[in-house]
Amino acid sequence: MPKIVGIDLGTTNSLVAIVEDGTPRVIPGADGNMLVPSVIYFDEGGNVLVGNDAKAKMVEKPTNTIFSIKRFMGKGIEDVREDLPLLPFDVSPDSEHIIRLKIFGRDYTPPELSAFILRDLKRNAEAALGEEIKNAVITVPAYFNDAQRQATKDAGRIAGLDVLRIVNEPTAASLAYGLDKKNQGTIAVYDFGGGTFDISILKLSDGIFEVLSTAGDTHLGGDDIDEQLIRIRKAVNKTKEDLSSGDEAEIVVEQLQYRRSITRAEFEKLIDPTIERTLRPCRQALQDAGLRTSDIDEVVMVGGSTRIPLVRQRVQELFGRVPHTELNPDEVVALGAAVQADILAGGKRDMLLLDVTPLSLGIETMGGVMSKIIPRNSTIPASATEMFTTFIEGQTNVKIHVLQGERELVKDSRSLAQFDLKDIPPMPAGMPRIEVKFLIDADGILSVAAQEQRTGKYQSIEVKPTYGLTDEQVEHMILESFEYAEADIEARLVIESRNEAETVLNATAKGTADEHYGELSAEERAEISAAVQHLRQVMRSDNHQAIREGIERLGQATMKLAELIMNSAISKALKDKRVREIQ
Amino acid sequence: MDYFEVFGLPRVLGIESATLERAFHDLSRKYHPDYFTTASEAEQAQALRMTALLNDAYRTLRHPVRRVEYLVTLEGFKPDGSKVPKSLLMEVFEINEKLEEVKTGNASVEEIDSLRALIHQKRDKFDTELQAASQEWDELLKSGAPEAKRKEQLAKLTEILSESSYIRNLERELENAG
Repeated sequence: MPKIVGIDLGTTNSLVAIVEDGTPRVIPGADGNMLVPSVIYFDEGGNVLVGNDAKAKMVEKPTNTIFSIKRFMGKGIEDVREDLPLLPFDVSPDSEHIIRLKIFGRDYTPPELSAFILRDLKRNAEAALGEEIKNAVITVPAYFNDAQRQATKDAGRIAGLDVLRIVNEPTAASLAYGLDKKNQGTIAVYDFGGGTFDISILKLSDGIFEVLSTAGDTHLGGDDIDEQLIRIRKAVNKTKEDLSSGDEAEIVVEQLQYRRSITRAEFEKLIDPTIERTLRPCRQALQDAGLRTSDIDEVVMVGGSTRIPLVRQRVQELFGRVPHTELNPDEVVALGAAVQADILAGGKRDMLLLDVTPLSLGIETMGGVMSKIIPRNSTIPASATEMFTTFIEGQTNVKIHVLQGERELVKDSRSLAQFDLKDIPPMPAGMPRIEVKFLIDADGILSVAAQEQRTGKYQSIEVKPTYGLTDEQVEHMILESFEYAEADIEARLVIESRNEAETVLNATAKGTADEHYGELSAEERAEISAAVQHLRQVMRSDNHQAIREGIERLGQATMKLAELIMNSAISKALKDKRVREIQ
Repeated sequence: MDYFEVFGLPRVLGIESATLERAFHDLSRKYHPDYFTTASEAEQAQALRMTALLNDAYRTLRHPVRRVEYLVTLEGFKPDGSKVPKSLLMEVFEINEKLEEVKTGNASVEEIDSLRALIHQKRDKFDTELQAASQEWDELLKSGAPEAKRKEQLAKLTEILSESSYIRNLERELENAG
């Protein structure tokens, strides 16, 4: 069985982890960091940087540095309209069904952008494990809808990964947590990350992790707390203007940056409403599970935002017990994803995760009403069968509209798919019996199959809802990404060799200005200048091998000069030392 | 395979929830798709189908009211709201009027509380009736009573369901309004 990694594809940071010898561990990146910032930087030449290198460009090049892309997963322009003014991205006009960001004249969808992050994690894992990684488990917020889950799966495919399972983040965290503790009982996982909030209530018994209920907000996280702080900056800006007529100021202006200290108390007052928004889903989840706060044995904190003391305090007040914070809240989801990957790989047969669908599934019925057929918090996989018939004599088409959400009316629900059952054998009205089967799989993703039962002639059909990207489009992106993966490595090698050539040329320039240069023979000096010219020439090409050869040649040519300089430096240093010692 | 067969149960209504849960966990370990990732596509599809069926069955049978609804439907009966007694309809009508006041925000906290108490009292009455009728069904089944007797009992269960559905709708509406 090839290795399966667990990936936490986060709003702010992403991680990859693996189980080895029964223990999960996070795999660090090339720079040694466990966290890969979910940031992607593009330059004019089509080169792409991911992670800390990209994050470093965020202030300098805001329009071509993409961050928080997870907020856009599975969304069209209407879903993100209120976010857009806050973000420096250029949105393509072709964004109705799926948002597209324009970067140097090319459109990128959120799954394509997320794929850059996944590819980076894949490379890190491959470098650390010494083998090609093709299979992964990727986590998503528990409250992600069908479209957001599919978009995540597509991101994996584009990055060259077979996504064997989509796992909910709080549930993954509970796996990592339950691993150490061998727990029994009822636990609440409070997961407050960079962009999303989830609460899940689970019952643990004999290795079965059964989710009883989940609730959340896919648009509530650390980013919202940052926004509160940005508001202070704006307020300070206004104060400055007011102070044009006043005579008292407390703001330090240093170059173009405002400086203002903020106390913990002020900060807490500011973020309290944001924290309050997380408590409503907590109460909802308890109610859905048919439990009271006193029924919860333990509370587990997940996500970077749970480091905020006021968050911990509020959660403690709600559940009446001290929450667990001993596991690193940034790493616990990735570790849990690795545990789930290990279960899928056949490693841990004693553990089993039974998760639920966060949102009710329904169909449109007469009068624009949504009729629920699979209620929220149903254990997945789950299915429901509905019978449809015709209203007119000889009718051969029936329209079916599939919806997701908790509201009563179609207009308030999210439309998942709309399709026609075609070629129904003509019969009197009400005669055909078309059985439509809705199936939510273990990833929380829906498929629909239909069959006419009375004649048996009707061919069954299968439908998968699309969120704006068809399978063909995803296939196309996968092909493009192969070019990217190769071009990526090629471009990186060229950049690296160019940088090295630059360093060598600078050193040579210093060397030829040195007094020892004169000690070289005329031939030796001629070879150095020829090698310099040659390297300058090949540096302009995109051929990293030629550049390397040029560096090599110049290295050979300057060998003797380097030795002369080095020797004299050493004897000088020794002389200085002796002088100091004598003194 | 019907939901009772999934658990290897006869069509009884008195099901111990701890026993059902244990069976659910055991069957999950047997069928869950997580244990078939390396199996053939056909086996994977079978695991998905079986687990979905198991989960649907557990969701239905663990709930005492949904369990009865499922049984009567399986036996060919259908709860029908149009056949309930007039006296109940009058009561429902009165409660509905009070509910409208809650929805429009014209009810005091005390009024909402007393309305909730009234609805809960009615619901509890139906629950007790349903529980007693469910026990009677189990006894008939156990003693191998003739089909006519059983049909009679199913009709009774169906009637209680039809009537209680009004109260359950009112309860749901009150919770949504509050």
